[in-house]
Amino acid sequence: MNTRSATAAILILPAGGYLAIFFGLPLLLAFLGGFGLFTRGAETGFTLDHYRTLFGTKSYRDGLWFSTYLAIVPTLVSLALSLPLAVALAQTHPGQKLFNMLYKVPLVVPGIVAAFIVMTMFDRGGLAARVLAPVGIDLPKLVRDQWAVGVIIATAWKAVPFMTLIIGGSLGAINRDILSAARTLGAGPLASFWHIQVPLALPGITAAFLLTFIGGMGAYAVPNLLGPVYPLPLSVHMYVNAFERNNWGLVSAMGTVLSLISIGVLLAYYRATRSMRQSYGGETR
Amino acid sequence: MSTLQLDGVAKTFGDTTALHKVSLHVADGEFVTLLGPSGCGKTTLMRIIAGITQPDCGTIRVGGHEIHMLPPEKRNIGLVFQSYALFPHMTVAANVGFGLKMRGIPRDVAEARVKAALDLVDLGALAGRHPRALSGGQQQRVALARAVVIEPDVLLFDEPLSNLDAKLRDQLRDDLKVLQRRLGITAIYVTHDQAEAMALADRILVMKDGRIVEEGAPVALYRAPRTRFAAEFLGQTNVLPVRLDGGQAVMPWGQRFGGVAARAGSHVSLRPEDIAMTADPAGAGEVCGVTFLGASVECRVVVGDVEVRVRDSGSGVAIPAIGTRVSLTARVAPHPLSEAAAPLTAALTA
Repeated sequence: MNTRSATAAILILPAGGYLAIFFGLPLLLAFLGGFGLFTRGAETGFTLDHYRTLFGTKSYRDGLWFSTYLAIVPTLVSLALSLPLAVALAQTHPGQKLFNMLYKVPLVVPGIVAAFIVMTMFDRGGLAARVLAPVGIDLPKLVRDQWAVGVIIATAWKAVPFMTLIIGGSLGAINRDILSAARTLGAGPLASFWHIQVPLALPGITAAFLLTFIGGMGAYAVPNLLGPVYPLPLSVHMYVNAFERNNWGLVSAMGTVLSLISIGVLLAYYRATRSMRQSYGGETR
Repeated sequence: MSTLQLDGVAKTFGDTTALHKVSLHVADGEFVTLLGPSGCGKTTLMRIIAGITQPDCGTIRVGGHEIHMLPPEKRNIGLVFQSYALFPHMTVAANVGFGLKMRGIPRDVAEARVKAALDLVDLGALAGRHPRALSGGQQQRVALARAVVIEPDVLLFDEPLSNLDAKLRDQLRDDLKVLQRRLGITAIYVTHDQAEAMALADRILVMKDGRIVEEGAPVALYRAPRTRFAAEFLGQTNVLPVRLDGGQAVMPWGQRFGGVAARAGSHVSLRPEDIAMTADPAGAGEVCGVTFLGASVECRVVVGDVEVRVRDSGSGVAIPAIGTRVSLTARVAPHPLSEAAAPLTAALTA
């Protein structure tokens, strides 16, 4: 038994060691840094000061909420657009190949470029405002506005093709006969969508939601360019504290909190889909 | 329960014509089988009737009402798929109750009907299970209950037994027949299995290349097929050349027949089981192959330049050795084929 355990340990070592050194260690250091241990450019010593600062300062508390807002709202908006788009793309229609290619274009455009596109289009005096002004439509403030509409537009512009791709894959994996069966049993297109397609594509839908959500939690460039002056998301506070104030302990605490929220959502996802994955059998994505 | 009438229903996919203006009538409560090889258009025809595929032209009427313009959910046609097509995220009861839910039937009424439908297929005890926990045969019975619980005007079966093993297939086939008779539902059953078609159908429609080439009751179609295609597709047969002599048809082994065989063309169909073979040193035939099939013995006999297949009951008969001289006798009058003759070398067909 001991020999077997030793063999297993040796076999696991390459993969396990790699994960431990390149993923586990940095995360552990960030976690410890939040408590003043092994902090870059500071003396080491256990302290709760960084967390006290984080939760005791209004701008940081607002930043935490704002980061969560920037994770949830653009993801929900993207999902609302991606679901019907994925269903529509699954149908055969004229120009399908061209459309299938075109909708993926934002995938290869970097986020920062997307942010500049939104700025050019929707900022005061931007293209959209100039086109709509002659017909008497005055666009509200969409860039650097209170509700971060510009951030939502840019994030959704990037996330919709990504989510559509994942959800489309999940929808495409559903046996066509199952959908035909639902139709012959009396379900119209909308009822088939809600009762059959959405539940069966749920593993893909939640995976797409989760990945976009986590991306939103840590987004830096887009909110920094298009977001409001106040509040700033925690990611921007991290940058300022790291490079302008050299306060790496506080940065570690902020990073830890952002990661914990993401991990919390991930666990909730696994919990919510566990019974579903069990009852579907093969559907484990 | 209703009649089904198709007039000039055609469908092309790109350059391929799946159906050439097909017309057919199915009487109220009749069980019709569409029999044909893969790609003959039978599944396309079924999907068009169900509304899943749109025809290029033609009309479909159920009980006299035109339905070809309606989406599938408005047609009230049940469809049982080869792949079962059960909803994997729903229990057996929810699967069966889905059609009733879509029709807005009150929950208590629906529950009673679901229970009755599951009892009908002997699956009442499995109502709370998910499809993946059931065997293939059980899944197909759930699919059947799901299709009949909505009381469809017409029930369609698209090769429903193809994915099951042989023994289960026979059993389910019998159950299905009993159920259809009991419910009296008008049914169309698609299959490429001629035994299944003959066991189930009131009437068989033989399809080939998007056309219905022949139809008839199973016994009539088997014993007196009009076309060579139907003769060959329903079981094995020998398509044999005959010589006409003095108003009689002469078989390759010299046996003479008057009547129909002599009046029609140059080829006849004779089933292997309709030929008697006896050892005869002076016989016209020579055994060139023997296959023991358990319930029967099949021999290939060369007569001149024609090969004839002969099947005998396997019960207690001596298995002939290869090279044995035999004489052949047709037990029944061979059946003439109206279709173009086959070249002599290809006279034997299986």
